[in-house]
Amino acid sequence: MEQNRAACAGKERMEGIRPVVRLEGICKSFGKVRANSNITLDIRPTRIKALLGENGAGKSTLMSILAGKSRPDSGRIYVDGLPARFRSPKDALEAGIGMVYQHFMLVEAMTVAQNILLGQESGIINPRGMGLRVRELAGRYGLETDPDALVADLSMGERQRVEILKLLYRDCRVLILDEPTAVLTPPEISRLFDALRRMAEDGKAVVFISHKMKEVLELADEVEILRRGEIVDSFLREEVPSERELAARMIGRNLEPRIELVPVKKGEELLRLEDARCEKVESVSLSLRRGEILAVAGVAGNGQKELVEMLTGLREPAGGVLSILGRDWKGFFHAPVRRKDGLVYIPEDRKGLATCPALNLIDNFVLTNRRSFTNGPFMDWKRGEAATRDAIREYSVQPPDPSAPAGSLSGGNLQKLVIAREFYRRPRLIVAENPTQGLDISAMEEVWRRILAAREHAGILLVTSDLSEAVTLADTFAVMYGGRFIDVFPRDDAAKVNAIGLMLAGIKPEEHDGGEAAGT
Amino acid sequence: MSGDLFISLLAATILAGTPLLYATLGEMLTERSGVLNLGVEGMMLLGAFFAFFVEMKTGNHWLAVLAAGLGTGCIGLLHGVACLVFQGNQTVSGLALTIFGVGLSDYLGAPFVGTLTEGFQPFPLPVLGQIPLFGPVFFQHNALVYLSYLMPPLLWLFLNRTASGLTLCAAGEYPDAVSAAGASPNRMRWFGIFAGAFLVGLGGAYLSLCATHMWTYNLTAGKGWIAVALVIFAFWRPGHAVLGAWLFGGIMALQLRLQALGANIPSSLLMMLPYALTILALLWASARGRGRGAPAALGENIAPGA
Repeated sequence: MEQNRAACAGKERMEGIRPVVRLEGICKSFGKVRANSNITLDIRPTRIKALLGENGAGKSTLMSILAGKSRPDSGRIYVDGLPARFRSPKDALEAGIGMVYQHFMLVEAMTVAQNILLGQESGIINPRGMGLRVRELAGRYGLETDPDALVADLSMGERQRVEILKLLYRDCRVLILDEPTAVLTPPEISRLFDALRRMAEDGKAVVFISHKMKEVLELADEVEILRRGEIVDSFLREEVPSERELAARMIGRNLEPRIELVPVKKGEELLRLEDARCEKVESVSLSLRRGEILAVAGVAGNGQKELVEMLTGLREPAGGVLSILGRDWKGFFHAPVRRKDGLVYIPEDRKGLATCPALNLIDNFVLTNRRSFTNGPFMDWKRGEAATRDAIREYSVQPPDPSAPAGSLSGGNLQKLVIAREFYRRPRLIVAENPTQGLDISAMEEVWRRILAAREHAGILLVTSDLSEAVTLADTFAVMYGGRFIDVFPRDDAAKVNAIGLMLAGIKPEEHDGGEAAGT
Repeated sequence: MSGDLFISLLAATILAGTPLLYATLGEMLTERSGVLNLGVEGMMLLGAFFAFFVEMKTGNHWLAVLAAGLGTGCIGLLHGVACLVFQGNQTVSGLALTIFGVGLSDYLGAPFVGTLTEGFQPFPLPVLGQIPLFGPVFFQHNALVYLSYLMPPLLWLFLNRTASGLTLCAAGEYPDAVSAAGASPNRMRWFGIFAGAFLVGLGGAYLSLCATHMWTYNLTAGKGWIAVALVIFAFWRPGHAVLGAWLFGGIMALQLRLQALGANIPSSLLMMLPYALTILALLWASARGRGRGAPAALGENIAPGA
């Protein structure tokens, strides 16, 4: 029966190698959000598999299920053809499956050797013997590290090597790496790739999670593409000749707007950047008018976060011209609070930057609107509560209880509350960062409608790594890559809209044709 | 000061430092696992009472010591229930434990105030006890003092040279790393709480079995709090704890001697000395250490399932 399903995966050529691990029909939901639905996946020794997908596509959820960190709602895991059940990372480690998390699980106050030994339950430690064993392993895969060094003193690349050594020390046969290159410098990346190739040659199965197409093409033997919790495509590296082809497969064909967009008459200019720069932002120019939505699309980590921080006053620009609601950066952000009311920020980090999870909805609602609810120096909580109730009703926040702690709300409801709060002031300029990430469909559409409605009084800068969101909402697109806008164009420029996938990889369409000719 | 007087002062230093050493090492072990237990003062008093009570009923000194350790360990588990199971605030729970311990030991001990017991008697160790200077200072005491000499190296070995000790320290530094490595940080914390309270209980047992040989109110007189401060003073290192405990023992002994000598200093000022030194030591430790040595996850609760 297992064999039949394996055939369905469409990889007859791979039948020669028996999978060491097989995931079958894995489903996992968080509330109403389906993080993984019915995922089937084979992991084979000696192969390097890439899981490619946008942020929130369900890659990390899937792998943390495999590593025993979370449990699936349904579905089965087979190890060496036998059904297995992982209750904790311990079970997975014992089955030979280990994971290098994006946030390293290392104790900074301990040495490399001590970290590697961590969790082995009994016995006396022989520091010298351990050092030798660690050096031997490190030498075999080109992961040189000093066993006696303190982890706190190591670079990110070295820390990652320690994480990998931890798994090798335990004889893991399957190594999972979550966004392994996110924290590395280019030389460290190529060194990591060499090490991973050596491990695969040595018979280990390697799975790495990525949203960078270049890396996938460079390293992977097999590619699985995840979108909204499902595997939408799965193929061998040889089948995709170019980044362009891979981009097309990753984006999918239907980039249709999902709700109707009626343009609003554009008003005065609210935000203008000319050659604005800061850390990780090389040079950005844009202009945003009232009634307009400008979507900054891009793969996370290309300077969007820094751009947003600069526009919201969290980071000082290093140069260039910034005009925010008619004032320069310093003039705007150094002004008294009441003169900054026109600008609002909807952060990506809903339970960190946007709200205080332990405070109730009234406190959180009043948080950025305090001055509307005061009598002289005193808070007017009655009015605060009334306004919160109104907002809860108007945005249908669940549960409709103003005294509930914000942290108890689901992501979608919390986001509705944040938007209700920020729009309460009728802002003129809105900076929204991945406003629908992690939301279910209905909450997502609700948020979209609110943002579209806000065009009446505001210009909106929408920073998103979800292309379908950009296509649905934006009047103007700016594609960001490596701290720059690759291109800025209106929504009716169909040719360029179709080429967004390429631009995400840093390729400008006109220069691309030449590039491909040179490559073939 | 004559030579004999000096030697007797040093010997008294060791005697006064021993209960501090037990309690400091105990709290240190608990804190290394990531749990802050401010109930030391209360636990120590209860330990002293358990030891006194079993000694009085059975006359078996070692049984009394064991009762103090196990009984206090179980009292410590209350802190575990509050913090590890119900995710209570560790500071609040610890303070409550102190208040509870002080009250309970006063209540249980009320009928016995002034009752004498035999307890441990000093005996010089053969050979070692004859060494000039060192003999009288270190090796002419009681069994619990000798036992306390073994504790710091044993604790050091456990924390630094055994896999479980390593895992326990990691639970105090970065519990997620422990779960990711397939072990249970909560289990380590339960152990840290119990074993730490066990040692604190031995410190209490020392007070009633070796120091006073009788039951009275407020046997600890703030020694539990000094132990909490000594853990910081020692940068969470067992070796440093010895220095700290004996330094404070020295101040206590000196303070008594000065009073006996009729020094022209008000006695309340002298009695204040150890506490003043505690404050100074904390200032010095935090200025020098800049938080170095404190377990990174000290006082942070973790999910019960982890």
